[in-house]
Amino acid sequence: MIDRPILNVWGAEHRYGTRKVLRGVDLAVRPGEIYALLGPNGAGKSTLVGAICGRFKLTGGEVALDGLDPFVSPLARARLGLAPQEIALYGHMTVRENLEVFGRLSGVTRRDLGASVERALRLTLTSDREHVLVRHLSGGYRRRVNIAAAILHQPRLLILDEPTVGVDIDAREALDAVIRNLRDTGAAVLIVTHDLDQASVLADRVGFLREGRKILEGAPRALIEQAFGQEMEILVQLENEPDIDGQGILAAERLERREGNFWSRFDTSGYQAAAKLDRRLRSLGMTPREIRVRAPSLQNLFSLVADWRRAA
Amino acid sequence: MILAMFRVMALALWRDRGALVMTFLLPPLVFLIFSAVFAGATGEDVKLKLAIADDARTPASRRLADALLRDPDLRAERTVPDAGARVRALVKAGRADAGLIIRADPAASGSPIIVVSDPSRAVAAPLTMARAQQVLARDMPDILLARTLVETAPAVGGFTRRQTAAAAAAMNSLAEGRAVAVGPSLFVREDISGARKGGGAIAYYAGAVSILFALFSAMTGALSLIDERHSGIADRILAGTRGMGPVVTGKFLFLIAQGVVQAMAIFATAELIYGVPVLGHIAPWLITTIAASTCAAGLALGIVAFCKTRDQGQMLSTFIILILAAVGGSMVPRFLMPPWLQMAGWATPHAWTIEAYQSILWRDAGLSAVYPAWAVLLAIGLAGLLLAHLATRLVR
Repeated sequence: MIDRPILNVWGAEHRYGTRKVLRGVDLAVRPGEIYALLGPNGAGKSTLVGAICGRFKLTGGEVALDGLDPFVSPLARARLGLAPQEIALYGHMTVRENLEVFGRLSGVTRRDLGASVERALRLTLTSDREHVLVRHLSGGYRRRVNIAAAILHQPRLLILDEPTVGVDIDAREALDAVIRNLRDTGAAVLIVTHDLDQASVLADRVGFLREGRKILEGAPRALIEQAFGQEMEILVQLENEPDIDGQGILAAERLERREGNFWSRFDTSGYQAAAKLDRRLRSLGMTPREIRVRAPSLQNLFSLVADWRRAA
Repeated sequence: MILAMFRVMALALWRDRGALVMTFLLPPLVFLIFSAVFAGATGEDVKLKLAIADDARTPASRRLADALLRDPDLRAERTVPDAGARVRALVKAGRADAGLIIRADPAASGSPIIVVSDPSRAVAAPLTMARAQQVLARDMPDILLARTLVETAPAVGGFTRRQTAAAAAAMNSLAEGRAVAVGPSLFVREDISGARKGGGAIAYYAGAVSILFALFSAMTGALSLIDERHSGIADRILAGTRGMGPVVTGKFLFLIAQGVVQAMAIFATAELIYGVPVLGHIAPWLITTIAASTCAAGLALGIVAFCKTRDQGQMLSTFIILILAAVGGSMVPRFLMPPWLQMAGWATPHAWTIEAYQSILWRDAGLSAVYPAWAVLLAIGLAGLLLAHLATRLVR
C-alpha cells in the first residue's frame, strides 16, 4: 500500500516584486521517504522551503501538510521539523540543554521532555556528547545535534536544509546513518542540498529545481539509467594543459572538459573504450595522468539536463 | 516555553564571566564613583584651593592673610612672590580654584579685597567671599567694626569725640579678644527631617546609575534577538507552532529580573556605604525597581526587534542609551540643566526613575507621589514589549 503524501505542493508560484522565483512547482513527499530537492543557487529551493514552513503565503498554488495549510494552521506546522542550514543552536549550552529548550519551544510537554530528548539523542547518535557545550563540538556532531533539535516533537515531515555543509567524509557517513534512522521511524525527510553525491546515496527520489521550475524528478538510479542507459563515464586527467591542437584532438575524441584538467565522455563500451582512448592519446603525445571509468552520477545527469534545456 | 527562553538567557549570562562583571559589578562601582564625586559637591565638603597675595602689606592685611592661611576649611597658600599678578597667573593656569588679593588695608573704606575667579569654576568665587567674610567675623571683628564705623559715619552725621573714643576702645577690646565679637547670628540652620549630608545626591545617583545600567544591560540582552535571526534559531522556531512569542516574552521577563538584581547590587551598596534607607522602604523601592526594569526591558526589545543587523542594533542602542542618559539626568543632575532641558527630561525613563527613587528614599514622600512614575515606566515597558511582538510577527 502506498502511503498518502504528508507534503503536497501544487503549482507553487512566488514572486518578489517583479522577479518570479517559483514557476509552478509540484511536489509530494510520502512518509518513510527521503526526497532530495536539488538545484543551483537561485533555483527557488529556499523560497519553496519557506512556503512549506508557513513563513509566507505563496503568490500562486498551494501547500498542504497533512491536508492543512502551514501558513494558517499551527497544527500543520506541528507536523514539521526544520534543521536550518546554519547551526541553529545555543553555543553556550550543552547538547542536552539545547534539546530541552527546543523541545519546550516546539511544544513538547514538560512530562514528555526527558523521553523526547533521549530519543533524539539516540536517533542522531549524539548520546555520548549530551553534556558537552555545543560550541565545543566538532562540525559533524553539531550537524547531528542540529537535526536532533528538529525531531524532538516527532514531526511527520523533517526538512534538512544543506545538512552536509562543513562536514568531513567520516562525519558524513554518520550523518547519512542518522537520516536513514529518521526515515526508518516513518518520517518523511525532505533534504534541500547542493550535494548531489549525498542525494544519490540517500534519496529515494530527487527533484531538480532550476530557475523556479522542477525540471526532473524520480528515483536517482532510475533517472540515471533512463538518461545514460548502459553508458559509462570515461574520465581522463591529462598531465599538461592541452594547447589549441590538443584541444582539437580531445574534441575529436568527444571528450568534454570537466573541472580543471579533467576531460570526460560517455561510452557504452566502458573499459575497452578507455583502453583504446589511452593508446590513442599516447600516440598523439598527450599522456594521460589517469583514466577512470565510472557509472554516471546525478551530477552527470544534472549537467546533461541543464545542457538539454540550454539547447532547447 | 517562556521559562525555557528565560533559562537560555540566564545561562548565557551565567557562563560569560565578562558579562557577569559588566552586569553586576560595574554598576555598583560606577555608582560609588559618581557618589564620591557628587555627594561632596553640596558645598560643605568642598575645600577650595585659594591663592593669596598681600599687596597692601599693612598690619590688618597681614592679619587677614594669616587668618585665611590658618582656616581649616580652606587649602590656602600665599603666593611666591607675594603679588596679585602671581595670583591671577595661578588661577588662570588652573592651579588654584580661586585667588584673593588684598590690595588695600581691610579696615579702609571701599573694596580692599579682590577675588579672582575662573568663570568655569563659578561656584568658587562666592565660596571664597563667604569664607573670607566668616574669617573676618571670627578672627578680625575689630576690623569689621572699623569698616562699619567708616561706612556709617556719613549716614549719622559723624561721631562725637566721646563716641569715637568709645569705638576705639571697643575695637581694642575686640582686637585683644577681651570682648565678644558678634551676637547671635541672623540665621539658624535646620536640616530636613532624617536627612544626612549628601544623602539626596546619593539617592539621586543610585537611581540614575540604576536606570542607566538597566537600559544598557537590557539592550545587550535584547541583541540576542538579532543573533537568533542570523543563526537560524528564529527560522527553526518560526517553523513551529508558537512562533517567536514565547521567545520575546521569555527574554522580556529575564531582562526584568536582571534589572532588578542589578538594582539590588547598586542600592545594597548605597545602603551599606552611605546609609540610604532602602530596607526601610523596601516595598515601594521594589515596585519602582520592577517598573524601571520593565521599562528598560520593553524599550530595549522594542528597539532591537526592528533592527536587521547586530551592528545596526548596537549603534542605535548606544545612541539611544547615551542621549536618554544625558537628557534624563543620569550623567549630570537635572537641576543643573536649563529649564527647557529639564522639561525634555520628562520624555525619558531616567527622569521618572530618578524622581521615583528620590521621592521614596530621600523625600519620604507618600505613594501618591510615585504613582505617576510607576505608570509611565510600566506603560513604556509594555508598549516596547508589544512593539517587539509585532516586529517578530512581521519578520515571520
